[in-house]
Amino acid sequence: MLKIRKDLYTVLVFTKIGTKRFFRDRLAIFFGILFPLIFLFVFGSLTNGNNKISFKIAVLNHSKSSFSKVFVNDLSKQKIYKIDQTVHNLSQAEDKMQKSQLDATIILPSNFGNLDSNHIPSGKIQVLYTQNSQIAGQTLTTILNQNLKVLNSHFVNIKTPFSVSSKQLSEKSLTAFDYTFSGLLGFSIMGVGIFGPINVFPELKKQGILRRLHTTPLKVWQYFLSTMFSQAIVGVVSIAVQFIVALTVFHLSINGDYLSILIYIILSTFMILGIGLAIGGWAKNERQAAPLSNIIVFPMLFLSGTFFPRFDMPLWLQSLTTWLPLTPVIDGLRLLTTGGKNLLQIGPQLGLVLAWMVVIYLIAFRVFKWE
Amino acid sequence: MSEDILKVKNLKKIYDNKAVVNGISFDVKKGEIFGILGPNGAGKTTTLEMIETMRPIDGGKIILDGIDVASKPSEIKKVIGVQPQTPAFQDKQKLIEIIDMFAAAYGERVKAKDFLEEVELGQKANSYAENLSGGQRQRLSIAVALVHNPKVFFLDEPTTGLDPQARRNLWDLIKMVRDRGVTVIMTTHYLDEAELLCDRVAIMDNGKIIALDTPKNLIKQLLSRGFKKEQHVEQANLDDVFIDLTGKALRD
Repeated sequence: MLKIRKDLYTVLVFTKIGTKRFFRDRLAIFFGILFPLIFLFVFGSLTNGNNKISFKIAVLNHSKSSFSKVFVNDLSKQKIYKIDQTVHNLSQAEDKMQKSQLDATIILPSNFGNLDSNHIPSGKIQVLYTQNSQIAGQTLTTILNQNLKVLNSHFVNIKTPFSVSSKQLSEKSLTAFDYTFSGLLGFSIMGVGIFGPINVFPELKKQGILRRLHTTPLKVWQYFLSTMFSQAIVGVVSIAVQFIVALTVFHLSINGDYLSILIYIILSTFMILGIGLAIGGWAKNERQAAPLSNIIVFPMLFLSGTFFPRFDMPLWLQSLTTWLPLTPVIDGLRLLTTGGKNLLQIGPQLGLVLAWMVVIYLIAFRVFKWE
Repeated sequence: MSEDILKVKNLKKIYDNKAVVNGISFDVKKGEIFGILGPNGAGKTTTLEMIETMRPIDGGKIILDGIDVASKPSEIKKVIGVQPQTPAFQDKQKLIEIIDMFAAAYGERVKAKDFLEEVELGQKANSYAENLSGGQRQRLSIAVALVHNPKVFFLDEPTTGLDPQARRNLWDLIKMVRDRGVTVIMTTHYLDEAELLCDRVAIMDNGKIIALDTPKNLIKQLLSRGFKKEQHVEQANLDDVFIDLTGKALRD
């Protein structure tokens, strides 16, 4: 009993000092906390407002009628259209469409809005789009048609026997940012768990610092455990900062309980850190650590749904990537933050994280070298 | 005289079919400063590392403080203190934390400040390790090696790369360690250092011990074989001049 208390005292002191050292190191703070935050801002601004669909269009009005002017003015007031004011002729428009800077071009012919014999304005709108914006072009045509129908009904009284009515469900749905956020959390867990150890360990070995520790009775499990604890503290701080930014700047909607999120983040950091400990502990120097970590990190970065959603992948790849260590971390966090689930309801993800933890630490213990 | 704290019998280390340490035997007495001398590649460091449990023993036996090194390495670790050739510490760690951390590695709490004061680093207690000079790092390393009251203290070429002041200071520290009752085992290739510090020395070459005695006796034996050095009656040497001019005070 006394021995265990002594052993744990060792872990406690190493954890404390390790954590203090992290927060004194500007470079470590940059890579552990600020770097993920930069990604948060980049992806946050990219995806923010993506839930409101809009089209970038150019409007070429060849008509001189006053009706056409009112019509163009109306278009520019609708949020769904973002009108590029720099386009003045067809060749400019075609050029921009080819570069995908524009979704479509709306052309009002010269007779648009002229009054017919019944003194009613009429005309035909032309929508131009290229092959790479087919969907946008067709959708735009439909919407314009709808606009015109409303307009028509003002001039001609038509009965419409059939119509469609749509209604938005009040249930919360994920915004693109809500979805991306858990991927970003996965990314920062990876930063704390893998990039830290693979940079630090080879240096510690090179200077003989680990070797010096090995001349003491310090055991590998004590060293691992204290590293796990201090990295988990760092991970939680890093992620807390991101939560604050996401909640205040990007209006993240959290729909779950924070205790579950906290516990899951700690467990995930432990597991992912095991990968860093295994690589860093095994490698004799940077030249061994760097390529191995690239081989392991990059596939996870692209295939586990950090930046690219997995549901876009072909089915076979989806089922394959389900088993990557980072996938249950991100999926689990998504379910906990925005899916309204608690820790007990994400059994498959939690189970996979724990299973990987066992496997990874078995490897890490086996391959660890003090020098 | 006094009892042996270390017994080495027929110790061997083989790398690539070559015996780097080739069946050496020696004993170290409790409380002495024991030096292992020899040119580079003689097997000094390898010998030391095998005693420190850092390298597997390929043949022979080492008994330290009554404990078999090969079968109980973790017991050995509790009774030895080790000073590496080039002491290094993690950045952004205060000296006081380094002492605390190493004490914790043995499961112990100590008054870290006392250990630092003993090696004249009390004022630096809250500095980071990376801001220390080479000599200060050596002294810190000695303080670190003593946190758990070891019975045997190992130093591997401790004064390599130090200036004369720092060297002398380290010698004083080594003597201080010995005066506490700790047995000191060190390697060096500075002969003046060995002559001045060591109670007994073993001279190694090609993995074998070729002589083992007190420095005085070794010199006597050499003279008795009829060795004659060119006579000179200098009362001082350049080293004395240097110390006289620059003083003994420690430079940091």
